[in-house]
Amino acid sequence: MDLFYLDYSTNQKITWSMLLNDINRSTTFNPYCYQGDFYTVLKQIILSLILGKEIILLDGDFTLDEIEKLTGISDFRDSETIIKFVNLLNLTTKKELLERLNKVNSNWSITLFTSGTTGLPKKVSHKFESITRFVKTAEKNRSNIWGFAYNPTHMAGVQVFFQALLNGNTIVRLFGLSKEHIFDSISTYRVTNISATPTFYRLLLPANNEYSTVSRITSGGEKFDDKTFNQLKDIFPKAKITNIYATSEAGTLLAANGNEFTIKHSFIDQIKIENNELIIHKSLLGNSSIVNEEWYRTGDLVQIISFNPTVFRFVSRKNEMINVGGYKVNPLEVEEEIRAVVGVQDVRVYAKSNSVLGNIICCEVVKRDSQLNETIIRTNLQSKLQEFKIPRMVKFVEKISTTRTGKIKRN
Amino acid sequence: MEKILQIINTVLSNRGKQNIMIIYETSHLRNDIGFDSLDLAELTVRIEAEYNVDVFADGIINTVGEIIYKIEAN
Repeated sequence: MDLFYLDYSTNQKITWSMLLNDINRSTTFNPYCYQGDFYTVLKQIILSLILGKEIILLDGDFTLDEIEKLTGISDFRDSETIIKFVNLLNLTTKKELLERLNKVNSNWSITLFTSGTTGLPKKVSHKFESITRFVKTAEKNRSNIWGFAYNPTHMAGVQVFFQALLNGNTIVRLFGLSKEHIFDSISTYRVTNISATPTFYRLLLPANNEYSTVSRITSGGEKFDDKTFNQLKDIFPKAKITNIYATSEAGTLLAANGNEFTIKHSFIDQIKIENNELIIHKSLLGNSSIVNEEWYRTGDLVQIISFNPTVFRFVSRKNEMINVGGYKVNPLEVEEEIRAVVGVQDVRVYAKSNSVLGNIICCEVVKRDSQLNETIIRTNLQSKLQEFKIPRMVKFVEKISTTRTGKIKRN
Repeated sequence: MEKILQIINTVLSNRGKQNIMIIYETSHLRNDIGFDSLDLAELTVRIEAEYNVDVFADGIINTVGEIIYKIEAN
């Protein structure tokens, strides 16, 4: 049985011939894809490819109000069109479908809205050429079985999907399942490849068993700590573990073993480091609403390890939002409130890494009034800020620490 | 134990919660003392500042006794 998609949570076992059947029987197409199950989203992407029409992926988390703001549309039903018979091939085999996907019409594009580092969704569109730039199709990849650990309406999910689709692989859903069901799915369906965030992998730890069918583990989206890396090696002893650097605008750009990334010769004119910040040429990006200039500043600060070729490691985000147990805190907002407390002369809010919440908020305060104490600051903040934004450690200092360029240090 | 009680009470006070008079090795951080994850996060930082050991480094711990064990093991 040649399987296309397996999903423990919905009890779906879809073969490639069932997929072909579903596609052949489609009579309408709606470019807006919202709140379907994973299979419906994947199927609709394939249908859009065959029709050569734009598809717009909307995360099920968006409210209808948000979607109206993002797209200007309040009712998607109006966007549905009847599929003209001439547009559809009567696909009979998986091979035919894959061949068809190699000749995608140039009108096709995929649009998605990223959550963005500021929390404001950004619209990003890609053509087939740019979304599949890093897809590797090869004979040796034909028998891969992908553990699907991303939301299919997000950039990373779309990229994993294309990698699997164009190689004719089976996709096994892992995203959103419990730890037990994830391991169960990996072993039952003999998953060979998994791509996920470090958080996804951390939630699998500790584990008692080894899963030796997995030959490739890819991690991206966050910094990958050595501890998780080593524990993963115990669970997936046969896997090669690769760290990737990707942005929602460009998709996957760089891969590393461990934490050191190399800029390959073919990218030296498109990926550069300027003032320790990684910058990317617009030719590598999709059509994004935020990229108007020649070079896109990623906001990722790096440290160069060697030249020719350039090897570097990531140091921090220029964007200064602090993640406290999944909640984002803008240190500037907290500083503003603390500065408003009577008796405070200056303040620096920073993150301290924490084994419980990832980070906690701390601050250094320069007193103007010697009577000022931690309790006074806290009491003032309690009516103005949510609890997770209030610094858990207040340190009184003579002078605020700054970087060499005179900016406030955050770490 | 007294120092631990003092640190626990600092965390409680910071959240406007009532201080406690006595703790036992069996006192449960969440169920008996009433800590939530923000409190636990603060507790780790304060213990680390005092004893130079991250008591939650190897996973979540539940009781005062486990904190003492971690500090002594260090």
